[in-house]
Amino acid sequence: MKKEKAKNRSNIIWTLFSSVKLTVTLLIILAMVSVLGTLIPQTNGAAEFAKTLSPALRQLFVSLDLFDMYHSLWFQMLMGLLTLNIIICSLDRFPATWKRFSKSPGPDRKKPFERLAPEHTFAIHTPRTDAGSAVHDLLTSKYRKLRAKETGADHFFCGERGGYSLFGVYLVHLSVLLILVGALVGSFFGFEAYVNVVEGETVDTVISRKTRTPIDLGFEVTCDDFSVDFYENGTPKEYQSEVTFSVDGKKRMRESIRVNHPATFEGVTFYQSNYGTVPGNTVHLTLLKGGTESEAISLKAEPGKSLPLPGGEGTFSIIDLRANIMDLGPAAMVSVQPRTGPAMEFWIFRHPERAKSLLPPPMLNSPKFNASAFAPYTFQLAGLDTRYFTGLQANRDPGVSIVWMGCFLMVAGLFISFFTSRQRVWVRLSKTKDGLSVAVAGTCSKNPVGLQRELDRLTNHLKQIFQKDQAV
Amino acid sequence: MINAIILSYTTFIYFIAFFLYLLFMVMGRPFFGRLATAATLVGLVAQSFAIVLRWIESYQLGIGHAPFSNLYESLIFFTWTIIFLYMVVEWKTKNRTLGTFVTPLAFLAMAYASFSPGINSKIQPLVPALKSNWLISHVITCFFGYAAFGLSFALSIMYLLKRMDTPQKKNMFLKLIPAQDILDELNYQMIVIGFLMLTLGIITGSVWAHSAWGSYWSWDPKETWSLITWLIYASIIHSRLVRGWKGKKIAFLSFVGFCCVLFTYFGVNYLAGLHSYAK
Repeated sequence: MKKEKAKNRSNIIWTLFSSVKLTVTLLIILAMVSVLGTLIPQTNGAAEFAKTLSPALRQLFVSLDLFDMYHSLWFQMLMGLLTLNIIICSLDRFPATWKRFSKSPGPDRKKPFERLAPEHTFAIHTPRTDAGSAVHDLLTSKYRKLRAKETGADHFFCGERGGYSLFGVYLVHLSVLLILVGALVGSFFGFEAYVNVVEGETVDTVISRKTRTPIDLGFEVTCDDFSVDFYENGTPKEYQSEVTFSVDGKKRMRESIRVNHPATFEGVTFYQSNYGTVPGNTVHLTLLKGGTESEAISLKAEPGKSLPLPGGEGTFSIIDLRANIMDLGPAAMVSVQPRTGPAMEFWIFRHPERAKSLLPPPMLNSPKFNASAFAPYTFQLAGLDTRYFTGLQANRDPGVSIVWMGCFLMVAGLFISFFTSRQRVWVRLSKTKDGLSVAVAGTCSKNPVGLQRELDRLTNHLKQIFQKDQAV
Repeated sequence: MINAIILSYTTFIYFIAFFLYLLFMVMGRPFFGRLATAATLVGLVAQSFAIVLRWIESYQLGIGHAPFSNLYESLIFFTWTIIFLYMVVEWKTKNRTLGTFVTPLAFLAMAYASFSPGINSKIQPLVPALKSNWLISHVITCFFGYAAFGLSFALSIMYLLKRMDTPQKKNMFLKLIPAQDILDELNYQMIVIGFLMLTLGIITGSVWAHSAWGSYWSWDPKETWSLITWLIYASIIHSRLVRGWKGKKIAFLSFVGFCCVLFTYFGVNYLAGLHSYAK
């Protein structure tokens, strides 16, 4: 049948794409390429790995898109070839399957009985019409399609079930296509982005991961609160963001976002991704007068607002604040404005010892890093109020439901094609010298062991029925 | 930590079971076979008990979760699935020879879990990403898939060994191995079960990843390797169903497939990725 088809469409491309050899080749190529993709760091780790390569090799890798191969044109072309292969294969074979499904064999076929097992035949003495209706009743209760035929000495019955089993494979292939379509829809009409929202603040754009440009959401996201819980051993237990979604300033929805518990608003889904801290608005300072601890004065300052020095020598303000500068921990830049003369600016650290041990001496000795630059005071950074920010992943993916549909179809299709089988059973009643001989035979599309079991069951069932008749 | 003590005894029981299966095949005495089945069953019951106990203990520690959260627990569960599946196959086929090839896998996995210095047998709290209802269904489907592929691997070894058997030979070990076509059919059935389970495992994993990370597929090394495994077994199924490959070819391909399974399970830990819990 296949050869006929090939002749009808004497087209090389059709023949090529309808071959399963191509399918297997493509599957293996995809597998090997994917292996390569896990060995060469992709996107995130790629830059570091690229440094270890020679320039020529790096150039080759870049031009072949090897650092982001799953999104490269050639990878997508491979997927395209596979898609075409699946479509053509299915179109090529479907008519034949349909024929197999719809065309019923004659009930009086001899072939199934050629390899008749002795245990599937027995003799009865029931009148032929009664026996016929008994077989008919039993088979209709078990099989959907039933046909019967009388030919001279024989009375044939043919029952069939599980014909849908022939289509399982098409469901699986359709499901692969659906998943690929879903992925395409997602990549064309969706986006993957992220946004950091400081507690108490509001954003209305997110940053695309692909293009690193802002995407306008069309609504506002406010982080009301962020909290992180830890287990006793110090590992994180739960991250939780309390988020309000509003449109044009009007509050529309309040949600708790946790890992594994995203929230969706207007088609954009927000996932808890990471978190961090930013300096808050209160800076705790200690001023040592004359360099001795006995005259320590504690002060609270707000960045940008100037405060008078305790002895009235002038004013000072915090003009820059960093949560973590050069891995030295929190730091603040103090600007002191004496009553006369120019302002003095210098950095103070939360951990001065660490700064001392890590910064090069010339830097330390410069006035920029001298916390005692304005005598008689020494400024100390006693602490910073910090605020959390929540890192949210924000995605829109209209293809997801298509992908899930594909997944469901795939499981259903695999189940049908692996674990169901089309069974056809034949029962033949033949006249003998002293009664009737009953013979039970069958064919199946797969699982011959299951068919034998079914034929055993059927034979036993028939024997029971006829024994009962005999007893009456 | 009574569960860990029971589990280390189980390791020993599986070794005894292997020894008895081997004795049964070398001596050809069914008595040893029955003893081996009994030992395996004792091991399976003890292990099931230990897993349930571990589950309960985690609740007593106040960090209750299913015992599927790190490499130790996953190895224990892998062993459980492979022995469970083997017991079902033994019961269905009424043949014990496969036990000789499967129990060593179980024993090795258990020994690795119990004795490898890098593996922590403590019950640890769940990190937020693992706190999901999908954990149980994802792990169960994946590991039943792995177990079925493990049995297919064992059947492939048996198939290749059986090829050395000839009517003239009087080697009891080889004589006891079932006929090649039976092994081939059973091998294919295991591949089919494994493939369905792996598919379910990848799908449940995708659904989970979608709710945890926001993306159902991120080309993370573990995801990619599970796809590679899936592609290999898909090509085995195609070459068998459409091109009619059988026997030796399928046995060799099943070898390749199982190597991919092992790499998906262990090898990926050496590559950076999102699935770092199972280290």
